[in-house]
Amino acid sequence: MGALDGKIAVITGSGRGIGQAVAMYFAQQGAKVVVNDPGVNVDGTGHDAGPADQTVDQIKAAGGEAVANYDTVSSPEGGENMIKQAVDTWGRIDVLCNVAGILRDRMIFNMPAEEWRDVIDVHLTGQFHTTKPAAVLMRQQRYGRILNWSSTSGLIGNTGQANYGAAKAGVAGFTRVLAKDLGRYGITANVIAPGAATRMTQSVPDSARELRSRAGISGAASQGAQPPESRYKRGAMGPEYVAPMCAYLASDNAWNINGYIFNVSGGTVSVANHPVAMRTVFNNGVWTLPELDDAVQNVLMQGIDNPAPPRDDVEVPGRDLAAKSLS
Amino acid sequence: MGALDGRNIVVTGSGRGIGAEVAKFVAKHGANVVVNDPGVNVDGSGNDAGPADEVVKEITAAGGTAVANYDSVATVEGGENMIKQAVDAWGRVDAVIHVAGILRDRMVFNMTEEEWNAVIGVHLDGYFNVAKPASILMRQQRFGRIIGFSSGSGLNGNAGQANYGAAKAGIAGMTRCLARDLGRYGVTANSISPGANTRMTQSVPEAATALRQRAGIAVQARRAGDDLRGPELVAPMVGYLCTDQAWNINGKVFYVNSGNVALAHEETPYRSIQTHEMWDLELLEQRVPTLMAGLANPAPPAPDLDIPGRGVLTPRPS
Repeated sequence: MGALDGKIAVITGSGRGIGQAVAMYFAQQGAKVVVNDPGVNVDGTGHDAGPADQTVDQIKAAGGEAVANYDTVSSPEGGENMIKQAVDTWGRIDVLCNVAGILRDRMIFNMPAEEWRDVIDVHLTGQFHTTKPAAVLMRQQRYGRILNWSSTSGLIGNTGQANYGAAKAGVAGFTRVLAKDLGRYGITANVIAPGAATRMTQSVPDSARELRSRAGISGAASQGAQPPESRYKRGAMGPEYVAPMCAYLASDNAWNINGYIFNVSGGTVSVANHPVAMRTVFNNGVWTLPELDDAVQNVLMQGIDNPAPPRDDVEVPGRDLAAKSLS
Repeated sequence: MGALDGRNIVVTGSGRGIGAEVAKFVAKHGANVVVNDPGVNVDGSGNDAGPADEVVKEITAAGGTAVANYDSVATVEGGENMIKQAVDAWGRVDAVIHVAGILRDRMVFNMTEEEWNAVIGVHLDGYFNVAKPASILMRQQRFGRIIGFSSGSGLNGNAGQANYGAAKAGIAGMTRCLARDLGRYGVTANSISPGANTRMTQSVPEAATALRQRAGIAVQARRAGDDLRGPELVAPMVGYLCTDQAWNINGKVFYVNSGNVALAHEETPYRSIQTHEMWDLELLEQRVPTLMAGLANPAPPAPDLDIPGRGVLTPRPS
């Protein structure tokens, strides 16, 4: 008896990495899985049926049930196809995991529109392409689980990833709306912001991390992604560590967990803050600039850091001004 | 002497609503403004030079300096054009404020590909389309302000706005990345999540609000100052972020409405559970109730639904 016995799941990007680990864990817990993966490179180029086939073979060898799908989530037809494949094969769709993703890292001032577009298409619009047809069916059957993959790159911020960060933060916003659109029909939608060592994280060169830390730029990995001083396993753990929480959220026990972001990495599971107001200043009417200067500098932003302060050799207007000098 | 004397600022979507108030405010404080607005309807259809022209006329009549631009931010060329127009007119661009936006509300199970693309195109792609060319110039001149407009709809979620919510949360995420890409060059990037009564909020029917309330779907509670709803209340904080005083405010989201200015929480971990080994489902069943204690489902299943698991007692937090 598994916690996901008889559940029908579609898992995008499950030919490798975290998607694969989730697919195998779900199958082990009794789910029947559509293993979607077009087998592209990390940058989205190429095409290879191998990764999806391999995951299916491994699931079958372990006694589970799975079928392969090679469509891309970046087209509406691709998204519909994989949902349809679940319905054609097993009659319904219970769980959708939107894991598929690519990277095209570049500083914003060098990023071509094509690199922006490709990353938004796979991560953000791609999640819409699978979620829309799945939501139609889940609403009718009054049951469903949607898990969307986000990242601290968007939730907290990271250099060189304006496209990826926009898409991944967009996923969190998308999912919060899904939770409210679909919750009343017995459906939940939640976000996974994973940390694991995969092919994708290997594409970030160590030199980039060193550069950021030398320049005093805080990256996602160094800020808030995990509780500090943890003595528990975390960070560069295998992708299989992410899978159990995903399966839990897909299980019946999690029927009332909806609209939340979970950081999952190693042995740590965290629920994230919603970006609600943390501190407020109020004026009974239209603010003037000197009033704002006083309230913002002395109250609102007290103790709040600039994640990437200007270099010392940059002449920054205002750096030498004391607060309150605004006329 | 204004706090923004000689600054050149591009404001997208500034023919009406919040954008128009921002354009007028920064002009009043000395900035030269590119008033961008293609004059579309709330759903993005149509085209009208009137709104941008009208705001330029108002600014000029009050003694300020402004030029009109009618391009759409949804295209790469449109975004480049409005940045170029600032440079051609006044020699540089100091700030770009992306207010432009449209709405195509629909529950996700009824939303079309076209409705998704149109909203992502204006809000999120539009932000890239102006931020990219502006960032090249700002990095070279070692000064700049980039301000994106986000929304509670994406930050907190709102039914019927999967496209808009995705785009608006995406803007906050992109801003956090821009802040880290550009901060060292003397450039800041921040987001505003505004609240004000404009043409756009009028498009949300009262019936939708009433329906959400009846269905038990969370709507934002009324707060002090909610009667102050004019878009002019949003403008000063946006203008302030463009001043020299705000040189070290970077990568943040501010809620601005009704005389309130609030700094938003970052989406960092709020509460954690940990194990020395790999999780298994049994252990998660024990520990997740602790993790989620007091955190409500914003749209619980209707009471008449047969929900697997609803009758099962969760173990007491240990």
